[in-house]
Amino acid sequence: MAATRRLQKELGDIRNSGLKSFRDIHVDEANILTWQGLIVPDNPPYNKGAFKIEINFPAEYPFKPPKISFKTKIYHPNIDEKGQVCLPIISAENWKPATKTDQVIQALVALVNEPEPEHPLRADLAEEYLKDRKKFSKNAEEYTKKHSEKRPAD
Amino acid sequence: METDYQDADSDMDCSDNDNECFDVYDYYNVVDDNDMEQIDPSQTDPEHFAYDCLTEVEVEQLLNESVASLSNSLQITPSLAKVLLHGHCWSVPNIVMKYRENASNLLISSKIKPPVTPTPIPCSRYETCPVCVTQHMSEKFYNLSCAHMFCKDCWIMHFEVQINQGISTAISCMAKDCEVLAPEDFVLKHLIKPNLREKYQQFTFQDHVKSHPQLRFCPGPNCQVVIRSNEAKAKRAVCSQCKTAFCFKCGMDYHAPTDCQIIKKWLTKCADDSETANYISAHTKDCPKCNICIEKNGGCNHMQCYHCKHDFCWMCLGDWKSHGSEYYECSRYKENPNIAHESVHAQAREALKKYLHYYERWENHSKSLKLEAETLDKLRLKINQKVMANLGTWIDWQYLFVAANLLAKCRYTLQYTYPYAYFMEPGPRKELFEYQQAQLEAEIENLSWKIERAETTDRGELENQMDIAEKRRTTLLKDFLDV
Repeated sequence: MAATRRLQKELGDIRNSGLKSFRDIHVDEANILTWQGLIVPDNPPYNKGAFKIEINFPAEYPFKPPKISFKTKIYHPNIDEKGQVCLPIISAENWKPATKTDQVIQALVALVNEPEPEHPLRADLAEEYLKDRKKFSKNAEEYTKKHSEKRPAD
Repeated sequence: METDYQDADSDMDCSDNDNECFDVYDYYNVVDDNDMEQIDPSQTDPEHFAYDCLTEVEVEQLLNESVASLSNSLQITPSLAKVLLHGHCWSVPNIVMKYRENASNLLISSKIKPPVTPTPIPCSRYETCPVCVTQHMSEKFYNLSCAHMFCKDCWIMHFEVQINQGISTAISCMAKDCEVLAPEDFVLKHLIKPNLREKYQQFTFQDHVKSHPQLRFCPGPNCQVVIRSNEAKAKRAVCSQCKTAFCFKCGMDYHAPTDCQIIKKWLTKCADDSETANYISAHTKDCPKCNICIEKNGGCNHMQCYHCKHDFCWMCLGDWKSHGSEYYECSRYKENPNIAHESVHAQAREALKKYLHYYERWENHSKSLKLEAETLDKLRLKINQKVMANLGTWIDWQYLFVAANLLAKCRYTLQYTYPYAYFMEPGPRKELFEYQQAQLEAEIENLSWKIERAETTDRGELENQMDIAEKRRTTLLKDFLDV
């Protein structure tokens, strides 16, 4: 299967590259189509914690894009309560088979660090983000402290 | 122009065969003395529209003529000509002009060439495909003008997945951030499976028709006909196959004098407010004089209570006598002149009242149109009875059907005047519009009343009424149909 071969290669490359912002990658031996990992953002207010995500690759990968969902609750205009995230690089219209998963993850980390309130999934948070940044940062920080995962030690 | 008109006319004549479906055009245009000068219908009839109904094969021919012409004048492959035409509204002169100005810019903006000329990749015997990360002989690699190399198997998979998602003309290179499009010959060279090739060609055909300003798919269910017209205007086209009538520009039900954006806004509003509007959809009202419950079972809005014989208007429940004669005001919504100074609640109430005024009339004429279709059945029965009772021959009574068809046409236009009026800015133009609308409405109700109660073969009075109603309709369209 094309997906398996390509995913094995990508997984190896990502593990070797030692990305600081995406760690603890867990992949079930029997099912390489599901990856779990920890997003570790650099920017406040999200730099107080880490966030578990799951990447699901379709059987037609890389001809169809992967899906990403957050397993840790996050206070973010572009990520909804169910953990769904709107990331243009993996939308069906924009997807390119030659796009690599590490590029997708980098786009995701960039979105977490710099929210895009122009096309939000949570309109209420986008409005708060635009109108009262202080209040947003305070809420997001409290939320992060309460719900997020522990950041890796190094 | 002359030939166009004749084509269009023959299309419109298509209803001639079913004898109950007289077209008003025929009714008025068949003049006995042939000495009459031919008048250009685009001048006299504000709804005149010249168009052809084409089959898939005829459309293919039409498209291929453009493709051949462009590929000849620019010396490019037909596949590239198709990409250019699809991206430029099928205008050969426009593309040729842009090509002469700056060929490179045109090819880049049309996604035929990449913005940066690629550096040639050194050829070794084996290459690794970046998509399947497998090594292949270099002969197995193919690329578009952007020089991004991928193996044949990956291209095939890419095309299959895209086509199964309904994508055809928009299939692009597999490289990240590369927008170069895969032209038809490149796709078909790799596609082997016959069903996929067929799907691909079907989808590209649909894309091409949709991007062509002169072509529209007939919106009728399962209808393959494509309508072609030189003018992409909001005018009525009738499919020669399935008889669906629609607006050529937006594909919705024909909506003169309202334009495409306004009717869309109106229909969305009606859908959003459907609950609010539901309560007025009831079929019954009480007689304003004796309060007996009356069900409306005909199209005419001039009601006569079966109990107390009181004549009243179904819309406003006012006395009909003050309606029909000098000044008909039922269609006009009287806005509160001091509304800007009222509270927010009062303004909201006023806005709802205004919307309901227009919606009620829109909905009512739409219902009347349906009820008048039933009236047609009743007319047929009545005519049979009359003929059996030796009161005139079947031919003597045909004028009633002609009248009923004209009534339907007038009422249809009247229905679509309400969204137009709703979105109009207050001012003298709106006053003129509502004046003409009121005139049209009054004559339509008179006509409806006369048709439902026609008891003799004396057609003079009815024909006079038909003439007045149609004149009011064309006057309104001439003044306000802006296409």
